[in-house]
Amino acid sequence: MLLRMEGITKVYGGVTANAGVDFTLREGEVHALVGENGAGKTTLMRILYGEEQPTSGTIRLRGREVSFRSPDDAIRAGIGMVHQHFMLFPSFTVAENIVIGREPASGVVFDRRKAAEEVRRLSAEYGMPVDPWRRVADCPVGVQQRVEILKVLYRGADIIILDEPSAVLTPLEVRELLGVIRGLADRGKSVILITHKLQEVMDAADRITVLRDGKVTGTFAAADTNAEELSRLMVGRDLVPLDKRPASPGEAVLEVRDLTIRGGRGKARPVLDRVSFTVRAGEIVGVAGVSGNGQTELVQAIAGLRTVDEGAILLAGHDITGETARRIRERGLAHIPEDRYAWGAAAGESVADNAAMGHTARFGRGGVLLRGRIRRAVEGWVAAYGIRAGSLEAKAGHLSGGNLQKLIVARELAHGTPLVIAAEPTRGVDVGAMETIHRELVRRRDEGGAVLLVSSELTEILKLSDRILVMYEGRIVGELAAEEATEESISLLMTGGTRHAAGGV
Amino acid sequence: MRPAGSDPRGWRKRFLPEALRKRFRLKTSRPERLRLAGTLRGLLHPLAAVLLGLIAGAIAILAVGGSVVETYVEMWKGAFGSFYYVTTTLARATPIMLVGLGVALAFRAGFFNLGAEGQMLLGALCAAIAGLYLPGPPEWRTIAALVAGVAAGAAWSLLAGWLDLKFRLNLLITTLLLNYIAGLFCSYVVAFPLKDTSGSSGMAQTEMLEKAVWLPKLFPGMILHAGFVFAVVLTLLLFLFLRHTVKGYELRMLGSNPLFAVYGGVRRGALLAIAMLASGGFAGLAGAAEVLGTQYRYIDNALTSPGYAWSGIMAALLAGSHPLGTAAAAILLAALQTGGLGVERNTDVPLEIASVIQATLILFVSARFTLALIRRRKARAADGPAV
Amino acid sequence: MDQLFDVSLFNSTLRMVAPILLAALGGAICARTGVFNVALEGWMLTAAFAAIVGNHFFHNVWLAVLFAVACVTVMALLFAVLTVHLNANVIVVGLAFNFLAAGLTAYGLFAVFGVKGSFYDRNMEGLPRWNLPLAEDIPFVGDVLSGHSPLVYLAFVLAFALQFYLFRTVWGFRLLAAGEHPAAAASVGLRVNRIRIGAILLSGMLCGLAGAQLSLGQVTLFTENMTAGRGFIALVASMLGQNNPLGVMLASLLFGLTDAFGIRLQGFSLPAQFTMMVPYVMTLAAMFFFKDRAYLRQSGRSEGR
Repeated sequence: MLLRMEGITKVYGGVTANAGVDFTLREGEVHALVGENGAGKTTLMRILYGEEQPTSGTIRLRGREVSFRSPDDAIRAGIGMVHQHFMLFPSFTVAENIVIGREPASGVVFDRRKAAEEVRRLSAEYGMPVDPWRRVADCPVGVQQRVEILKVLYRGADIIILDEPSAVLTPLEVRELLGVIRGLADRGKSVILITHKLQEVMDAADRITVLRDGKVTGTFAAADTNAEELSRLMVGRDLVPLDKRPASPGEAVLEVRDLTIRGGRGKARPVLDRVSFTVRAGEIVGVAGVSGNGQTELVQAIAGLRTVDEGAILLAGHDITGETARRIRERGLAHIPEDRYAWGAAAGESVADNAAMGHTARFGRGGVLLRGRIRRAVEGWVAAYGIRAGSLEAKAGHLSGGNLQKLIVARELAHGTPLVIAAEPTRGVDVGAMETIHRELVRRRDEGGAVLLVSSELTEILKLSDRILVMYEGRIVGELAAEEATEESISLLMTGGTRHAAGGV
Repeated sequence: MRPAGSDPRGWRKRFLPEALRKRFRLKTSRPERLRLAGTLRGLLHPLAAVLLGLIAGAIAILAVGGSVVETYVEMWKGAFGSFYYVTTTLARATPIMLVGLGVALAFRAGFFNLGAEGQMLLGALCAAIAGLYLPGPPEWRTIAALVAGVAAGAAWSLLAGWLDLKFRLNLLITTLLLNYIAGLFCSYVVAFPLKDTSGSSGMAQTEMLEKAVWLPKLFPGMILHAGFVFAVVLTLLLFLFLRHTVKGYELRMLGSNPLFAVYGGVRRGALLAIAMLASGGFAGLAGAAEVLGTQYRYIDNALTSPGYAWSGIMAALLAGSHPLGTAAAAILLAALQTGGLGVERNTDVPLEIASVIQATLILFVSARFTLALIRRRKARAADGPAV
Repeated sequence: MDQLFDVSLFNSTLRMVAPILLAALGGAICARTGVFNVALEGWMLTAAFAAIVGNHFFHNVWLAVLFAVACVTVMALLFAVLTVHLNANVIVVGLAFNFLAAGLTAYGLFAVFGVKGSFYDRNMEGLPRWNLPLAEDIPFVGDVLSGHSPLVYLAFVLAFALQFYLFRTVWGFRLLAAGEHPAAAASVGLRVNRIRIGAILLSGMLCGLAGAQLSLGQVTLFTENMTAGRGFIALVASMLGQNNPLGVMLASLLFGLTDAFGIRLQGFSLPAQFTMMVPYVMTLAAMFFFKDRAYLRQSGRSEGR
């Protein structure tokens, strides 16, 4: 056994990211690490790579106990990591990107020719052809990934961690990648593959470990399991039943038709690929999927914060494609953003100021801001949502995540607009706030509002949605009514499988 | 206290000592007390900066062999020692306040408009021209001159704003360059076409405005003029604007978090135009008021050598772009400057001692921003990243 | 026409370009690491004053230059600590240093020399003029290139040296990486903060040379605010030159030429003010020809809008 991670536990503040995780790796093995968002996969690998320290637990490499204080230590021990978001220098060449930090030099001069030779040699050895002199920005994503892998190999890695490597690849590039991974294993390298795409896992991995809520729920040889079993092990939390009346949807409020956002450089996979769906008044449509499959861009496109290349968006009958955010809000949109600190609030401003955003028509008269009205409204929200904010003048950045999110939800729902987009509405939020927010979203639906819920939390989707859409790689790959949806079927779609479970997918 | 599991911001427990936490908790249930505490805490930093500035000044005084006590006494007397000096200080503060208010408005929205000097000079020149050559009864001419000054400053400022909006040119650099262009232009106008050739001085200046057009003095025999009233009124108006109007709100949010503002439907372009027009107008008014109230003509260099515009920018930076604070900082800077004149008159220490203290102040204030940031960074580091 | 464009025009161009070039090289290096350094103006002013002071006390022009460089490097260190370590707003700190420089030099004029406005010592020895042995005999070129202070030659040598440093050496490569994508640089083990501090210190030293050339390079004179915006023109020159040392050199030459041209035009009874405007107008026009990516990011323009 090349690597043994035993009893790894990592606690941040009040959150337990990993709880007693055991993970092993053999030489020449491809071991996949799967799980939902928040399951603890990335944390575990950050610990292995020296970016984090475990709260408790040991790591043994080739039998000896090791401790990595920084990525440098891990690199020196022969561990290399290819991050999900590439760490490349776009204007540098392939060779420059690969050799940086260990540049071949003659004196002080950077010997770029020698670098190119070494890169050629390396890429031939591992069967990953690249042009050392090409600018990385001009390379397709698949080649960029090869550069990242070669970078790691150049530093002498024996263990290679790949974090969601196929997130941005076209199907052809994915096939090539899986071939490369097998090739690496055949040459004696060990690969840890973090992914949520079970099809690839079944194709490429020798062993699979499933994480859920920070714990290992199973470790198998690939031959001994299948995608259904894996997705069942990935989800399966206890659902808190919500008292929900059945929906009676009315007119279409939001219509999205063939919405397309092209990928960078034209050749890469489109970010959104002919996405079409409808949301009616009085229903909650949940968009499920692992984050990074186009959900963020979809929400931004509808809210007017991102341009689209093709397609149309209609809100309450009006064409809002390409409109400004202000016009779209006037047409009837409220938006609970995915990243509350970046988009949803001004951390340095008071609670009152944060509450007024988007409401200035209601809170203002003749251009004057009526603070009395704001105060009364916020006091109402504080009471209804249980927001702990101290005073209206307290800085929004001092509120806890849950309280700030409750404020944002209250603010957006108070508009009473026909459409509400709730993007990851309970991310990073405590249980109490989560319940409150869920309750209010359902109430909005019961009042006749249309709610588009975008969430990578499957339980949230299942709890709230009347209809469920699943996004994968920029496309809607499945649409189910709430009654017929099961965790397994959705999870399968989220991870690239098909709805019809055939043996040995 | 909530249980550990539901308080991800555990930093509060770790970084605030028990006593402070208890007091904090008490205050959170009394909004008025919280606001007062916040104000006091807000004043602590500027007071500390002033203290450090005075210490730096003391070192500089000793370096020239002067007496610290004597110098500071003379400085106080020079700024506030008699009614005459008080009004002189306030008169000097007038253009600094006006410029500072305009700059504070622009900075608050996140726009680094550094073109106050050029805008002020153009405003002064246009006011002088209007006052000299427009027909009509004197009161109308005074008003027209003021309006001309405001319009000139506003237009020059809007030019830079337009370059940013349409061509994405860096506002900081364009406003700075336009300063020099405006300054040289005004210099030319007053050295050639509009030069007053009647007098024997040969200085580059326009003819003198007739007395009826001058801004009235507030007190007989003192140089403090109606411009100060404008400054005070505008201070209050700006304060009310930022705090109580919708546009003021949008402006503040744009400066605080541009993404949040865009998300909420705020239009950056419209606010850029408003901010540049207003800040340019204020600077133009500052120039116009000086011409109509103190100098009664446009004199080359008379507005640049006392550094009114840069002092105004300094005042806004010192006060964190808060209108009331900016006005106070402007008076403080004016006091330092008139105090410096007093020091020059009565001791061997030069008036530039004021510059030393001012400069130290601004450096400490920029450092103050960082202390708050360190505290926030430490807090965030204890949180840990999301899983 | 040859009264306008003659040898002495180009000769004086080179002399006037040197301070801008030196400061612009510093600005370019800072920009390459992601630091928008607006303090070049104040640093140049401080250096100009320090050079005069050093010359006065050490009676040695070389020690004076060294003294100027040392003073500004200390300022640069403080700037680096505030902006890199403590994360203060780069622009506010830069402006603060400009105010500080203006105040300290004005006070210093009196404190050290007992004068106001400007200091001029007829007996003070300025930077020597070097005649290039081979070049000075070439008819036109020789008169242009020869007879400048060593700092002028150093400025151009440094432009080439920094070009070599950035694009041929390992350390230059790493500096470029740290500025291009700090997170990626950190992920391969580069110390981004250290690189930034180093760049700031280097720009300080270059401004030290620039200021020394300004006050000791032709007439040994210090006047209050004698930099007159050169620091900001240098900043624009570095932007125009795409933060590329040779590009910066060409941009600086362009501005220097227009500056000298402007002064020459005065001889044609064109009002001095318009001729003095020429470099600033040119700079403004030049800004249309490049896009400042960092500024766009900073002003919060969201994706595709």
